[in-house]
Amino acid sequence: MTAEAPAQPTITIDGRVVPFLPGDTIMKAAEKAALDGTIPRFCYHPGLPVAGTCRMCTVEVEKAPKLMTSCSTPCTDGMIVHTQSDKVKKSREGVMEFLLANHPLDCPVCDQAGECSLQNYNYEYGPRTSEFQEQKRTWSKSTTKKLSDKLTLNMNRCIHCERCVRFTDDVTKTHELTMLNRGWKKELVSAEDLGVVSEYQGNIADICPVGAITFNDFRFQKRVWFLKPRPTLCDGCSKGCAVWADEEKDTIYRYRARRNDEVNGHWICDSGRVSFHTYENPNRIVEPLLKVNNHLIATNWETLAPSFVKELQRAARIILVIGTDATLEEMKEILTLKSLVRNAVFDVRFYNGTSGVHTSADDKAIDDVLRRLDQTSNTKGAESLGLTPLSQNGQGSASSAYDLAIYFRGGRAGIPLKLATKEFGWGVFSKDEVQRFDGVLPGLATVEKSGSYINAAGNTQKFVAAVKAKGSSASVTRILEGLFVVARREADLGVN
Amino acid sequence: MSELFLTTKDQIADSHTLSVYRSKLQGYAGLERALTMTRDEVVDQVKKSNLRGRGGAGFPTGMKWSFMPKEPKHPDGSPKPKYLVCNADEGEPGTFKDRLLLNRYPHRLIEGMAIAAHAIGASRGWIYVRGEFYQEIVILKKALEEAYAQGFLGKNIMGKGFDFELSIYRGAGAYICGEETALLNSLEGKRGEPRLKPPFPAMVGAFGMPTCVNNVETFCSVVGILRDGPEAFAKVGTERSGGTRLFCVSGHVEKPGVYELPLNITLRDLISHCGGVKDGKKLKAVIPGGASAPMLSAEEIDVAMDFDSLMKAGTMAGSGGVIVMDETVCIVEAAARLLKFYEHESCGQCSQCREGSHWLARLFHRIETGHGDTKDLDTIARLCSNMAGQTICAFADAVTGPALSSLKKFRKEFEAHITGGCCPLKKPGQKAPHFLEHHDHVAL
Repeated sequence: MTAEAPAQPTITIDGRVVPFLPGDTIMKAAEKAALDGTIPRFCYHPGLPVAGTCRMCTVEVEKAPKLMTSCSTPCTDGMIVHTQSDKVKKSREGVMEFLLANHPLDCPVCDQAGECSLQNYNYEYGPRTSEFQEQKRTWSKSTTKKLSDKLTLNMNRCIHCERCVRFTDDVTKTHELTMLNRGWKKELVSAEDLGVVSEYQGNIADICPVGAITFNDFRFQKRVWFLKPRPTLCDGCSKGCAVWADEEKDTIYRYRARRNDEVNGHWICDSGRVSFHTYENPNRIVEPLLKVNNHLIATNWETLAPSFVKELQRAARIILVIGTDATLEEMKEILTLKSLVRNAVFDVRFYNGTSGVHTSADDKAIDDVLRRLDQTSNTKGAESLGLTPLSQNGQGSASSAYDLAIYFRGGRAGIPLKLATKEFGWGVFSKDEVQRFDGVLPGLATVEKSGSYINAAGNTQKFVAAVKAKGSSASVTRILEGLFVVARREADLGVN
Repeated sequence: MSELFLTTKDQIADSHTLSVYRSKLQGYAGLERALTMTRDEVVDQVKKSNLRGRGGAGFPTGMKWSFMPKEPKHPDGSPKPKYLVCNADEGEPGTFKDRLLLNRYPHRLIEGMAIAAHAIGASRGWIYVRGEFYQEIVILKKALEEAYAQGFLGKNIMGKGFDFELSIYRGAGAYICGEETALLNSLEGKRGEPRLKPPFPAMVGAFGMPTCVNNVETFCSVVGILRDGPEAFAKVGTERSGGTRLFCVSGHVEKPGVYELPLNITLRDLISHCGGVKDGKKLKAVIPGGASAPMLSAEEIDVAMDFDSLMKAGTMAGSGGVIVMDETVCIVEAAARLLKFYEHESCGQCSQCREGSHWLARLFHRIETGHGDTKDLDTIARLCSNMAGQTICAFADAVTGPALSSLKKFRKEFEAHITGGCCPLKKPGQKAPHFLEHHDHVAL
């Protein structure tokens, strides 16, 4: 036993004793003890500097004459905090009444409805009616204002929490947003009216607690109460950001950042945010394809599998190219394909396909927030399995002319230039990517499968399927099973 | 009449020049004496004088100075500079004393700041002047040049090895920049919005350094205390509020103006000192300490003008702006006008203040124009209770000053507006001048 450690200081929140670290605010201590659900807030966001201006998070601290903002008040040992006292409730009701006085209350036409802090908190804490008799303040020129191609501002709904301003000041440091004028005329504008330019704009819509700033890609696409958030990973680059895939009936409508302090904090980039469209793309190949009379035609597994096995067993020189966007599990599994091959050369390479990225050594951060150069999710994973990279330009070595190439990818990795006389795609492709192939085995996208990626920092991150597979696309396991069944059957029948 | 510390009975010509200040007003003698003392001794002298800040809050000046850290250090161990700021952003409606001091005695301010800089160990100072004070800035600039030229500022001041750099910073026209942390933000080139406290400016002030902010009149008062000792100053006024202060008397008095009087004078005496209510009319109400101070009714004027007595009377000494209103004044109109000011000047960061000041202004406007409802009076009280004490700075409290006091003390006038459907003191169709174009532009 070591000497007795000094007792950790504690505060009491609604009767529960909660430890804190020096410097923690009441909000932080409450968050750590999972008690922050009792403290409403608008301007506070754990990923942003404290502003302390919305005054919604005030709590009663014994011996303090005034209510204290829990977001900014540091804990002191023995502090006794009440988050649900009458005084606190009256204050919250007051804030809600003030914030709603000039709010348009246009919930039926507001896309934030259902996930709006103003709605939720007013239901919980606010007055049921309003005494506001005056004409509402409106910004006639900013009712539907384009802040950029990605963001729409409705200033009438703004509650002036300034999370967006602090986001551009402190996270992206691009300083595009600012408040113009003063007091009740205070208006959110982009500096010099040049619009928002950063690559992280979607986060601004995420953190806007009301419907003032909405993300155009999702705006009016779906009422949020139909959506179910599923945890998954963004596979848009080697960072491996945690996201929520919001789906209904196995269709994904948006990605939102999912907090992971080790990787992405509270944020994701815009290209990652819209990357789910790759899987929702109507041109995605979700049925097996086979080339017949020089035309790729949709077929079924029963037809494709024997043809594919035949090609495998006929070829003398085969190359399997594994995209660096496949999961570790898929990479390991697909290597068993070799056992279907008879006496042929069977080369395996991994291929990244991002311009300028050959191996993980070429990868680097491309800004100070999250984004990385490598546009695939698992280059380090491929390397960890000891695979060798395909030559830099995506061509087979001059000496090795293959008669069968199989390109396996999750939808992000590049497709090499023609490596063999017969080519099969396996995984996630869109129509325009497969025209030169002799067949396609439709596979699963990240959101449809479980597995793990090793991100640029070397962290192995596991994830589970968020939605069901589309069409006839199937997992590597199932496809391999099918191929083995076919091979065995044909061997039994003595085919070939 | 008692001793004067800030002004002279008869105006001295060219008192703004260094030569006249030196020859006729014992200029820089206070600094000279202060520089013979240690820092702690100077602070002690100010503490003994019972000087309380003249900006509005009335905080004991000596104590404020003693809050400044002695040897602040950066995390790497190197010494942190300390800064001194003069709040000359005189914007409180009804207040015009700092303007007089800047006009007539700019060197006294410089001297007072140099003394304070010595006391707290500040190396650099700024005078944050209200932007509209153009003439005052011209005078102050000239005075600074003179002071630098004669060695009262800059390196090795008065040969005593004390360095202090002082410069002027012009505000851009926001009332809230008179709040010390909004002032510091503005000084740093940021939006003039009050900061969350703690940290207080004594720890993290201008540009992140320990900073002391005092009012013009406070600095000017320090000069006499250091020159002649604290006793004479403490003797005047009350036990807890030493000295004289400048009262800015405006409104319906015979002789409006700036008066230097001891702090223990009563409001009644102050009004008679100014020649009484204009044209012999009856007094209706007085705002005793600038627009933010709750109004007093005519029956409540037997109160001493020091900080504690006025606080006990439910109002405040504030900035010393005394606004006298006679029986012809419509209190609803006066309060509505004040609230229009607050609506315009709220910085807008805190929810209650931004929305509440706006709501109250329009509510009062509606009542004044005869469209009020009895229910509105309850709404006023409720809104005020949800604003006061709930925000980062005291602005929201200031808004409730005129709103609540007018309603509480002159409720009958509000009711007359509501039941009569118009202002009882105005002719039919007559509008208060400041409402002619107001509130017709709700769409921004």
